[in-house]
Amino acid sequence: MAADAGAQVTELTDEDHACLTFGEPEELADLTAAFIRDGLAGGLKVMWLSDTSAAGAVAELARRGIDPGPALERGQMTAAACDGRLLSGQAFRARDAAGWLAGQLEASRREGFPGLRVAVDMSWALRPVTGVEELPAFEEGIAAVLAGSTAAVLCQYDREKFDPVTLASVAGFHTRSVAAATYYADPLLRICRQYAPPGIRIAGELDYQAEQPLALAETVRLGGDITVNMTALAFIDARCSLMVADAARTIAAASRRVRLRCPSEVAAAFARLGLAGVPGITVVTDDDR
Amino acid sequence: MMTGEQHPSPPPRDPAARAWPLEQHFDAGSLYALRASAAAHAAAAGLSRQRVYDVTAVVHELAAKAVLHGAGHGRLRMWTQDGYLHCQVSDPGPASRNGTGTPPRTVPWPAEHDHGLWIVAQVTDKSSIDHGPAGTTVTARFALPAAGA
Repeated sequence: MAADAGAQVTELTDEDHACLTFGEPEELADLTAAFIRDGLAGGLKVMWLSDTSAAGAVAELARRGIDPGPALERGQMTAAACDGRLLSGQAFRARDAAGWLAGQLEASRREGFPGLRVAVDMSWALRPVTGVEELPAFEEGIAAVLAGSTAAVLCQYDREKFDPVTLASVAGFHTRSVAAATYYADPLLRICRQYAPPGIRIAGELDYQAEQPLALAETVRLGGDITVNMTALAFIDARCSLMVADAARTIAAASRRVRLRCPSEVAAAFARLGLAGVPGITVVTDDDR
Repeated sequence: MMTGEQHPSPPPRDPAARAWPLEQHFDAGSLYALRASAAAHAAAAGLSRQRVYDVTAVVHELAAKAVLHGAGHGRLRMWTQDGYLHCQVSDPGPASRNGTGTPPRTVPWPAEHDHGLWIVAQVTDKSSIDHGPAGTTVTARFALPAAGA
């Protein structure tokens, strides 16, 4: 089955074999965290396979307001390396990897979980691993395991590092294509939705010429508490600072909390606008994390 | 906090300094490049990361004002003199008001009009504006770190 035109990570459900292509680590961590958060909230067993250490995975989730501690303790969640699961050392065999997944699905059933979610960072396939040419066969095997199951798999590919031929060869085995909803992107500025915690992410340089794409109305429309992630924002001018501050005040006035994450230089600009003491608004710099 | 002055800074007297360390023309399409140049020169002058950002912000706001309310284009000059980094933005467009003056120092929230100049006033150590028939020239100055500091 070919991947559809695109889905939100929050829409994934049983039998979904999703292909997430990401362009930067922050995007990967955000979408993965949302996938995990929703799985845990649904009572599913969740596995996160990546090069990130278990402690690093916990820290990344905690940074996004997700506490996986209780789920780890009761065996509902696992954060582990791909080595020893999908591959053995520097050797990969598609049949063995698909067999491992089928075994995990069966184990989750025995443990009483209503379903399974697996997030797999495919970066291991960029390393010198024998059998990596079996990657398409592995993706096909996943699709077979998931058929009729209550499991979902999120395969994560770095679109800057995987060559287009490889991406094209595996895309057809996925049922869903997932990427962050992007409101605006050009060489200087990228504005996209953030999923965990909910809000928007603004990266690059933002000046008055981009005030239309700023899409701050989206943060108001999203509902609930909002995070504006500006940690990768290198510059914001006076007019756009005012727009962000104004949106934050509007949201806070509606008894919703607003968290502005930004570099200390940008935080200083918001402090000059008097945001530091406004109830419901928190300005957080990397130093505060 | 800035100290207002009635006249823009004179050019450096030292003939060897007549060659501006930075002279760059800009318009709406080159503000990113202008910011990059300003940041690089501020960093080379020894300013802290925060002050480099402040210099970049001030240069941008002055240039944006020239683009939006002046001639639509202009020129940035930057040099160091007498313990200050000087950032001079000029444009040949019509002045928004006559005479000389200083950027506004108190702009309450909500601040929309001239907010860019308010930022200039907030973060520069000295600044001045000269409006005239030839256009507008704004010079912002940032104190350089003391030698050995």
